[in-house]
Amino acid sequence: MAHGYHGKILHVNLTAGEFAVEEPGEDFYRKYLGGSALALYYLLKDMPPGADPLEPENILVLALSVVTGASISGQSRLTAAAKSPLTGAIGDSQGGGFFPAELKNAGFDAVVVKGKSPKPVYLWIHDGEYELRDAAHIWGSITGVAEQTIREELGDKKIEVMQIGPAGENAVRFAGIFSNSNRANGRTGMGAVMGSKNLKAVAVRGKIRPSIADKTRLSTLAKWGAANLSDSDIAGLAKYGTNETTGANQNSGTLPTYNYNSGVFDGWEKIDGPTMYDTVLKGAAEGKQDREGRDTCYACTVRCKRVVEIQEGPYKVDPTYGGPEYETTSTFGSYCAIDDLAAICKANEICNQYGMDTISCGATISWAYEAFNEGKLTPEDTDGLDLSWGNAESMVKLTEKIARREGFGDLLAEGSERAAKSIGRGTEAYLITFKGQEAPAHMPRVKRSLAVIYAVNPFGADHQSHEHDPVIEDDFEYYEERLGALGFNARVETHALNREKMRFTVATQRLYSAMDSLNLCQFVYGSTWQLYGPDDIVELVQAVTGWEDFSYADIEKVGERRINMMRMFNAREGFDRRQDLIPEKLFKPLKGGASDGWKLDKDEVEGALDTYFELSGWDVKSGIPTPEKLEELGLAWIVK
Amino acid sequence: MVNITITPEDQNRKEKILEIHLQLFSILRDKLPPELKGQTKIQLVEGSTLKDLLIELAIDRRVAISVNDVQERDHSRTLADGDEVKIFTSVSGG
Repeated sequence: MAHGYHGKILHVNLTAGEFAVEEPGEDFYRKYLGGSALALYYLLKDMPPGADPLEPENILVLALSVVTGASISGQSRLTAAAKSPLTGAIGDSQGGGFFPAELKNAGFDAVVVKGKSPKPVYLWIHDGEYELRDAAHIWGSITGVAEQTIREELGDKKIEVMQIGPAGENAVRFAGIFSNSNRANGRTGMGAVMGSKNLKAVAVRGKIRPSIADKTRLSTLAKWGAANLSDSDIAGLAKYGTNETTGANQNSGTLPTYNYNSGVFDGWEKIDGPTMYDTVLKGAAEGKQDREGRDTCYACTVRCKRVVEIQEGPYKVDPTYGGPEYETTSTFGSYCAIDDLAAICKANEICNQYGMDTISCGATISWAYEAFNEGKLTPEDTDGLDLSWGNAESMVKLTEKIARREGFGDLLAEGSERAAKSIGRGTEAYLITFKGQEAPAHMPRVKRSLAVIYAVNPFGADHQSHEHDPVIEDDFEYYEERLGALGFNARVETHALNREKMRFTVATQRLYSAMDSLNLCQFVYGSTWQLYGPDDIVELVQAVTGWEDFSYADIEKVGERRINMMRMFNAREGFDRRQDLIPEKLFKPLKGGASDGWKLDKDEVEGALDTYFELSGWDVKSGIPTPEKLEELGLAWIVK
Repeated sequence: MVNITITPEDQNRKEKILEIHLQLFSILRDKLPPELKGQTKIQLVEGSTLKDLLIELAIDRRVAISVNDVQERDHSRTLADGDEVKIFTSVSGG
């Protein structure tokens, strides 16, 4: 008997309006666990190479894991995967909230969406039943309106809705998929894929909860986390959100500023977590922000999500649309040298209403700001907008123009790399893209293993694909027990990019890769500073599934399997090591603060890439997994 | 200014008082009155170390510290008059 999962995958053919339910056995779930690896299985098996990301032949998979929905913090997350319209490579995006647990309760572990509906529809899944419903009346609606409409017409306000906004309908290449109108599977343009299929939303509700193998063990683990949260290293994350890290990044020169030309921002204190907590969180004026201004995901005690409400001034913000994360205050803030917190919150609101990734959107705008400030763009290009560094008003206007694909916004909706190619004039020099995806707010010129991960990661720059350098470096507190369990017993010289750093990079990449298949939150679970460590993840899987022989070796193997599957997906699309590129800007020195003068060295990076590919067991020259490696991982079927 | 006087076991070190510029980040800010927003100057007895400072502030969690903008993980480091000490929680992702 299966515990933790249903053993049911819902297949939807939108072109024909047909459904099928597949029931894979336990071996399938043990091999892929769920989430990203499970999604990759269907993309590799069923999608023809060379598919146009915005045509019906693309496949969109929404996948949960074997532990999604269990009553413990950090598990209610979902993978959205398809071929990316932003990068042309594998698209993969993780998001949390309440929808994932509710989809599990509705009776399925994943939904595989193929084809294209002849008209706008939404998918309604409830207690094992499913149907497509007309969505013409909500096509064009912003997320909050569409969500409310669906709940009202289905007569249940507890229905969870995952949807695209107008940006996804408009094929903005970095459109995301949103639940609760404020939780994003933001990256790699999965919302544009969903829009291309005329699928507006997936609504879910149900009471079919899979059994838990050992409720006592699960409860013990959950209670331990709740009891230790306030003393843990994520206590600040709970109170101040991901924005708690702004100050630390400023101090270490790792707060990307002026479109990644500097690692320090004079206005950092105006946009950091404590300032948000004191000023813009809902209830802050009455000192009630801990109760009203923080939100959570299903069964999570951390409550790190921000809820912003601004009722006065030029930028009023509706709490329905949550609040900005650290990434968002950086891309719309320090990247553009903007310290107007209300304007940043407004841009975040627009992204959540229209359904856009705040990282790519803000970073694309910061590319335009640099081009403008360097004289490569003029007001004639920008519809008259003044893109001088720090201009908050133009940033907010541009965000909405992108969502609507209006004027200059239509060009930026293509992403910064396509926009630079279109504009020319040397603006490619201002790009901070990897495989066409804009870099998040973690600085590879200082945390240098990020340079390798950003480059090799199959879906482009991503800051959640391994553990960052400081935890194993000289200057940082050392997590002896947890790192020891991963096979690391000594520090690495600060800023080194040597073989030991690469061994750490590969090892933690596999862990984080597996967590994206288990759909676990990487603040709650992880290698070192998170609430739960690697051994706890094993305990979680055992308690939920009853797989008593499940071990950390299995986690490593699934993590490695997923990375190899992604690399093979990309290889089919013509990607190899030649596309594992680092933008030229990162080889130029940062200016100011603790990271002044820091830059990447090409020879050192190439050497690190050699080591990375060697340690991954891939062909070093091409960066493609070898047949032997695929055989070892049970993936020989991909090339047969 | 918040006057936090460390009283070391060695009474001979009492003669000289150091003034330290302190900045606390994230939830460590809660160690100081809210209106200070994590920043203050404090007085310590000469010879005080980072460990003494952490004890006085009742910070017993894992932290990252910089002294004069240089990372410092040796908590036995003796502080000097005018030092700028910044103390962070350990989260590195985000």
